[in-house]
This record gives sequence, C-alpha cells and structure tokens, in this order.
Amino acid sequence: MTERQVVVGHRLGVHARAAARLVQLSSQYQSSIVLCRCDPEADLQADARSILSILLLAARQGSTLVVRANGVDENEAVERICEYLRG
Amino acid sequence: MKHSERIIHGITASAGVAVGRAVRAVDPLFISLNFKISAAQASQEVARLRKSIERSRKQLRRIQAELKRRRNPESSFLVDAHLLILEDPLFVGRIIDKIQTELINAEWAIQQVSDELFEAYDRLQDDYLRERRGDLEDIVRRILHNLRSRPAPAQKLPYDAIIVGRVIPPSMLFELRSSRIAGLVTETGSPMSHTAIMARSLEIPAVMGVASVSDIASGEAIIVDAGRGLVVCSPSEKTLEQYRGRAAERIRARPRPSAIASTPCTTQDGVRISLGANINFGEEAAAASTLGVEFIGLYRTEFDFFRDGREADEAKLLADYTRVLKSARNIPVTFRTIDVGIDQKSWDGVNSNLGVRGLRFCLENQDVFKAQLRALFRASARGQVRILLPFVSTVDDLEAAHEIIDEVRRDLARSREAHDPHVPIGVMIETPAAAQTCDLMADRVDFFCLGTNDLIQYYLVIDRSDQSVVHLHTPFHPAILRCLHQVYTLLEPTGKPVTVCGEVAADPPSAAVLLGLGFRALSVSLAAYRRIEHAIRLMEIGRLRELTGEILKMHKPKDVEEKVRAAIAAGAASL
Repeated sequence: MTERQVVVGHRLGVHARAAARLVQLSSQYQSSIVLCRCDPEADLQADARSILSILLLAARQGSTLVVRANGVDENEAVERICEYLRG
Repeated sequence: MKHSERIIHGITASAGVAVGRAVRAVDPLFISLNFKISAAQASQEVARLRKSIERSRKQLRRIQAELKRRRNPESSFLVDAHLLILEDPLFVGRIIDKIQTELINAEWAIQQVSDELFEAYDRLQDDYLRERRGDLEDIVRRILHNLRSRPAPAQKLPYDAIIVGRVIPPSMLFELRSSRIAGLVTETGSPMSHTAIMARSLEIPAVMGVASVSDIASGEAIIVDAGRGLVVCSPSEKTLEQYRGRAAERIRARPRPSAIASTPCTTQDGVRISLGANINFGEEAAAASTLGVEFIGLYRTEFDFFRDGREADEAKLLADYTRVLKSARNIPVTFRTIDVGIDQKSWDGVNSNLGVRGLRFCLENQDVFKAQLRALFRASARGQVRILLPFVSTVDDLEAAHEIIDEVRRDLARSREAHDPHVPIGVMIETPAAAQTCDLMADRVDFFCLGTNDLIQYYLVIDRSDQSVVHLHTPFHPAILRCLHQVYTLLEPTGKPVTVCGEVAADPPSAAVLLGLGFRALSVSLAAYRRIEHAIRLMEIGRLRELTGEILKMHKPKDVEEKVRAAIAAGAASL
C-alpha cells in the first residue's frame, strides 16, 4: 500500500470537471484507490473511481487529502493523482 | 385568454434578451410504482436496469458527439460527468445491490439510493458543489425514463420557444436542440447550476429563481430580459418594439475586428466574395447596414407578417417595407414572400414540411400573396427590392406565380402607382425538385437563392425538429455535396446569380466547401456575419478547389467532415 498527502491546488477545489478527470485518471490503474479527507470539518473517504463520492468529499482549494492505493501499480497511481490534485 | 402586461423578477443566470413564446416544461416527477419481487425475478430486474443504463449511455454519447462537432467543450465535459455517474460504483453498484438483497424493483432501488445521495448533497456547505445535485437528478430522471418500455416521443418546439419550468435539468437544454431555444425561465437553480452554465455557453438568455412559473401561461408571449433579471409576460406592442430595437442595438454594439471593416471581402488569393445577411425582423435591417453588410440576402417576411395575427393589409405592409428599406440605407433587400403552412399563421405549431407551404400557400391564398406583392412593388419606388419565391418545386408553380406578379404589375401601372417594374424575381432552391431542375427555371427568373437548411432536410429525409435524427443533418453527406455541385454546374452556364443562405454558409468549414464548389455569394445571420467574414479572408480558393475535388470522391459524411475540418485548421494555423 502506498499513501501520500496532497494539498488541493485547483481554484474551485475538486469540482465537477476535476472530479471527472480524476475518475478518468484513476480508471487507468489496476490498483484500488481511495481519497481521504480528514480535517476538523470532515472525516470522509471516497472511491477514486466514483465521481459522486469524490464530489461529496467537498474538497476545496487548500484542503488536505490523503491518496491511498493498493495494487501492482500503486506507486505510479498515487504519484499521478497527487500531481493532478496539486493543480 | 388575453393577459395584460406584467413583470416577474428573478436572477440573471445567462445575460441577453429573448422575445418569444412560453413553452411550459412539465415538472419532472419521479413517480414510479414500488413493489417487491421474488428472488427468481432479481436477475431479470438487474438486466432491465442495465438495459436502461446502456440506453442512457448511448443517448449521452450521441449528445456528446454532437457537442464536440459544434466545438462546445464546456458542455461536452458536463456530459462526461453524466457518463461517469452512469458508471459510478457508489450509484449503480448500490442500486444493483439493493435489487438483489432487498428484492425490490429497479425504480424503487434507484429512488432509495438517489434519495440517500441527495441528502448527502444537501448537507454540503459548498454552494457550488450543492448544485451538483442537479446532475444526479438529471441522470436519475434519464434512467427512470429509459426503464419505461415505451419512452416518450421526441420533443418538437416552435422557433421562438422560451422554456419555462419549475426545474430545467441541464440535459434538457442539449436535448431540445440548443440552437432552437430562445430563452429560459426557471424557479429553481442558480447562476452556478449546470443548466445556467450550459445556457451561458450556448448564449441562451436565462432568468432563474422566479417566484412562480405557474403565473406564465403556455403559449403566452414573453420577453426574457436576463441582464436585468426580469421576465415580461404578455408585453404590450410598445414594450415589444422597445425590446426588438434593443436586440438590434446589441448586434450593432458588438465589437468588430477593426482592420477589416468596410473593405470588400476577398480571399487570400484575391477572389471577391459577396457577403449578405439574413434577417427575420425588419428592425434588424438597420443593424445589418451598420455592420457593413453588402446586401440582405434573405428577409423572412412571415415573422413580421403574422406578428400580431395581422391580416394582409397592403397599406400596413407598405409602411413596414418602406421602413425596412430606409433603415437598410439603400442596400438591396431580398424579401422572401411568406413561407408558412395554411393552418399556422403564428408559428405556434410544427410546420407541415411536406404540405402546403411557401409558394403553394401563396398560390392557394392569392389575396394574401397579392397584397404582399403590391406592397413590395410599391415599396420598390423607395429602395432596392428583390422578391424571392419560397418552396418552388415545379415550373408550373413558377409560371402561376409569374401570372399573379404580372397582374399586380399591370394593376399598379394602370392606377399609376409608383413602382419599379423591373424588380428582380428569384427562386429559392430548397426542394430536391428545384435542385434537379433549376436550369429549367433559369429563363423565368432573375436570380436564385439556395436554401440549404430545408434542402438537406428533404434530401436526407431528416426532420430538423426531431431530436432523435437531427445529428444526421449534415452538409457533408456525399449526397449533399453532389447536389450542391450539381446546382452550381447547372446554373453556371445560365449566368444567373445564386446566393447560398442557410447554416451551411454560416459555418466556416461548410462555407469553405461552398467556395471550393464555385459559389461566390453567401448570406448568413447577423450573429454569424463577422465570424464568417473573418474566416473567408483567411481562405484560399485555389486550395479549397483541390479540397473539394478530393471530398467529392469520399464515401462517408464523417470522413468528409474530418477532412474539411483538418484542412481548415491547418490553413488557419499556417497564417
């Protein structure tokens, strides 16, 4: 399992366009991938292949997320997704 | 029932002004029967759900292809989001799970899962994200709709439809064929809703958050003044005039690329192209002349003619036409005689495309036709009038029209009314019959106008108002290319001028094909005028001729379109 923290850099947070792109990106990997938002306001976890759960994270610009992947290509998956979220 | 003018306030979701008629959208209700199923039926129920999802996916893909073709990335990503919801394990996976474990029908399972998700959305603090609930509602509606064994037939809309509804889901906008919606009024929604985003990207004026749409009657005349966040219902004639004037003003006020104004429109290799404008209301004539338009290639007179259910009143028409000519400041104006079916004098219904319309209507309603012709001839003493006959399909009809025209001319000469006896008379080529036989008509007319919108519809047997086939309406079909090529070849030796009107002339790739085929005069809507003028100045006829030669040999519409778009993109990049 690989995990890494990332601060969301997108201006509008993880909005619809970014969420859609994130799902498309995650679908390229075989590993299971989850995004966790754990801060004083929320304690939520989202399946990176579910656009609805990503939107429900309500991550904004500056929110901290943990990207966690488990599988053969977990390193690359975490790397690419963090890179995307940083904006 | 006659209403009096009243104003309803809302908020601006997409700026602009629209004048039209209210079309009430039925509130999308999630009514479904909920029932328990047996364990044996579960797999059948899941299969039914999957089928509905597959059908939904196909519909969305089709919409997406259409949006991509029209280069509308903002909207096409919204469809991406909808497609992803269809694949979302949190959504679809849970619905299937519920069907199998709770043994309930698909509709019930969808309702339960979506209700949970709706609640989660409603709890969000972020206004923007809360609005995303609308996308989920939209998808749920689509799946429920497709679960029905017999989905409702495609929607048809009148030309000036302003959609009024409590809730308007974003996908309704692209399904109702965006180009046809004049405006939008809703109770729910905010400027951040996807419906608003879509409306802005499609330049549809929209007012949201009005208190109650039930105050607006279906079919009522309304004005959407979106910039000011208000809707005027049953406007008085005075208010209407003001708004029509403002619509023209807006077009005039659009910034123009400074360097190209007022020099003749020529291609890179110096070929002169005549560029005219199409108008639907007399008020637009002034805007056209300010834009530096060379001529008005098509004035669709029926909108003004039937504006307030008016009967054929020659004096009133004469006053109208004189005003149009005056505001056109002496550029030629091509008046197309009224083109409507006999039973719809107000454009409030769907056109009977294969029935009595255009010249057929005029020949059957000679009092109307004569009154219009008399007004046009009398107006010709005060400006450059050209008369265009719509929907001509036989030489017989043309001759019958000429007899009436001659009679009108004789009467005017006898009563010594001022008029120009040599007003050019033209024929609209918009039926396959006219396309095939235009050379046989050439001796009897002074000019031609090629109306591509209808021509494509009749050639490819596609009703443009039917959303399930409208994506097949393309000028790049080899049948259309051959037809256009044939019309040019037939008319060239006759020396009679031909202007191409219609959307084909207004879109740079298809306009390029027209120029490549040999056409040298185009007439487009005011909104498209600057864009197309700019595009033509970047084109090279020599290269377009080669391109046209190649595409005439191709087999498939898609291949043709790709080839043309690639060539245009490459050409633009090299400049």
